[in-house]
Amino acid sequence: MVIGLVAVLVLTLLVFRLPVIESLKLLISGAFGDQFAWSRTAVKACPLLFTGLGMVVAWRAGMYNIGGEGQFVMGGICGAAVAKFVLVGSTAIPGWLGSLVILVACGFGGAAWAWLAAWLFVRRGVAVVISTILLNFVAIQFLGYCVSGPLQQKKQEVPLTDTLPDALMLPKPSPQMDLHFGVVLPVLAALVVFVYLYRTRPGYRLRLVGENADMARANRIDAAKVQIQAMLISGTMCGLAGGVEYIGVAGQLGTDFSQQWGFLGIPVALLGGLHPLFSILSAIVFGALFAGSENLARFTNAGATLVYVIQAVAVLGYVGIKARSDAVKAPVEAG
Amino acid sequence: MPVMSHLEVRNVTKRFANVQALDDVSISFHGGEIHAVLGENGAGKSTLMSAISGFLTPDSGSILLDGASIPIGKAHDCKRIGIEMIHQHFTLVPEFTVAENLALVRLKGLVQVSNPAKLSAGAMATGKSLGWALEPESSTRRLPVGVQQRIEILKAISGDASVLIFDEPTAVLSPDEVEELFHVLRQLKSEGKVVVLIAHKLSEVLEISDKVTVLRHGKLIASALRSEVDADMLASWMVGEMPPKSPTRTSQDAQLAVTASKLTVLGDRGEFAINDITFEIKKGEIFGIGGVDGNGQVELAEALAQVRSINSGELEWEGKSFSKDIPKIGYVPQDRQRDGLALRMSIRDNMLVSGLHRPEFFAGPFLKVRSVTNWAKELIKRFSIKVEDPHELAGSLSGGNQQKVVVSRILDNDPELLIIVNPTRGLDIKATQYVHEQILSARGAGAAVLLISADLDELYALSDRTVFLSRGRMVEDQGAASLVGGAS
Repeated sequence: MVIGLVAVLVLTLLVFRLPVIESLKLLISGAFGDQFAWSRTAVKACPLLFTGLGMVVAWRAGMYNIGGEGQFVMGGICGAAVAKFVLVGSTAIPGWLGSLVILVACGFGGAAWAWLAAWLFVRRGVAVVISTILLNFVAIQFLGYCVSGPLQQKKQEVPLTDTLPDALMLPKPSPQMDLHFGVVLPVLAALVVFVYLYRTRPGYRLRLVGENADMARANRIDAAKVQIQAMLISGTMCGLAGGVEYIGVAGQLGTDFSQQWGFLGIPVALLGGLHPLFSILSAIVFGALFAGSENLARFTNAGATLVYVIQAVAVLGYVGIKARSDAVKAPVEAG
Repeated sequence: MPVMSHLEVRNVTKRFANVQALDDVSISFHGGEIHAVLGENGAGKSTLMSAISGFLTPDSGSILLDGASIPIGKAHDCKRIGIEMIHQHFTLVPEFTVAENLALVRLKGLVQVSNPAKLSAGAMATGKSLGWALEPESSTRRLPVGVQQRIEILKAISGDASVLIFDEPTAVLSPDEVEELFHVLRQLKSEGKVVVLIAHKLSEVLEISDKVTVLRHGKLIASALRSEVDADMLASWMVGEMPPKSPTRTSQDAQLAVTASKLTVLGDRGEFAINDITFEIKKGEIFGIGGVDGNGQVELAEALAQVRSINSGELEWEGKSFSKDIPKIGYVPQDRQRDGLALRMSIRDNMLVSGLHRPEFFAGPFLKVRSVTNWAKELIKRFSIKVEDPHELAGSLSGGNQQKVVVSRILDNDPELLIIVNPTRGLDIKATQYVHEQILSARGAGAAVLLISADLDELYALSDRTVFLSRGRMVEDQGAASLVGGAS
């Protein structure tokens, strides 16, 4: 897989007529060259791992959630609403607790948005792919409304929320770096998701429903309940991605709050083989691609969009390889 | 005088992996005749019809329509020369309107402008001439099965078909609708068309057909005129020699386990799959239900396994209604790859589904991985499943070993009620024997066993009492005739 990814990278650079060796050096130094590079990689990987985990849980249950973006945005909106109407100006709540409250609100917002799609599927038979894609648009438009309406900053000049006070932001090891301590959260979440999926009864049911819903039914497992549960967890993860981006990096919401993190969770999860622990690695790979290509864009004429091309090719390659190996493995029974 | 077509099947042979589906079969179908083809499951009827309608290519032999070879193995071209098949499972697009479905077969190419009203006009007119009032704009999905079948028939006969093959057309129809269908068949016959009827139900075959052909195990057993045969003759041709019946073994004082009274169960399409049946199963008894597939077997099994809700009637265990935990049910579904296994999960995880309620495998919600793995290893050993490591994928096992995974995990729970459907389908002799031993030992342990099987040898070898299912109703064991709805 790693070799494949490097090959894809080299091919893409060739297509863009960039000097391969030099560009790779720039990519690597931008991603892992020094502590600043590492910090950028980690900060990019953080929301990616959260949304990736969201996809892992949903897809493992056979719920093809494409709505990470909307759930990410709704998480951010809920967090910002709680910050504005409950926390800012209140002196009774210590900063760390405030951060926690915001994160909880973000997770809740994402979960609620995902629940809507789950409900539509279970009760009305609306395909999850369709509803989640459409709910993305609703969420993004709602974000536009919020930041120029109820959540807009006091000065009301630009469509942005107020910047959070530092006390509510996630703490940083060094003011010179982007790095915040929130990056450990998705790693912990990955461990929790791993234990949940592979070491608990509800996690087993979830995997079973995703692998063979008919078998679950024949064993009297309520697939609808399991699917709703999966979407709630998935939405929570995506909402938390919005949370760490909000109180870890941005500090305020604007119309550009969503940077495709929700969509990018899908390639992260796929490249991680829909496994929570491998998703840590794949989130780091994608985070590094982002950090590295920023560096590349700085020193060459390749735009930062190059990273999206590389990701797209990587995912297509992965899906192609997987489809092939599945076809080979598929058992054939005579009679 | 209508033009009479003539379809000639000569020495057709077809072999699948290890099954001789058709063995040197020759039949002559004449225009102006209704020719019924009878046979049990796997007798070769469908294979033969698929060969005639171009859906598969025989290994040898020839098929001639009016003296010219048909385009073998080319379904589309067979349709073009006038061979039409009315499938048992409808080939309608549920989202389309009636007119759109009728227009679909008349489309000449993909890029043609679609004008459903115009393209379906001919079929609608044919429908009208048959006295069928069809609403062209109504959505197909909502129509009753009988009406859907009319559309299916119109699709086939509205062109200039000369051969019409009906694949078990009465399976889903009510008696009135069957009469209606027969009317159409007679009409087609009077137009000089070749009408082929694949059927199970003897009484219907005797009522409508002019000629009867019986297949068994891929061989042509007999072709005869209607006037030369009766129900008993046909039944014995179909089944051959009946396997020896085992004597009724249930002792009179065995304790009553299951009472099903006036049970009605709906199928997936809302039809009455099980219609008002009543039976009892005692403890330590194997109650066998035979019959041709698709007569309500799966629905009955699922109802008893509490996987499918019952529409009306009572299901009682020891005189009390079934509840969530009573009785302890073990259900071995017919289709192991669909309902029994997750092929991409490990053998261990496939076994775990029957262990979810067992306290020794869990601490709170957490899985005790080692105990589950040890349990899986133990089952592999005890049931001699051919695999070393329980972490291997279920899909890597052979059919027999896959079935052993299902059977082992279920029997290890010591079910009080064991429901088992066609448990040895596709298995080799050794695996079959093994599964049979397991069923017998479950009975020995005092379980009430409901064995549903289309395999008469299996049924008679294992069951203590046997009845048959035919179109959702129960038929007493009357030998061969009960397979096809009872002598009538």
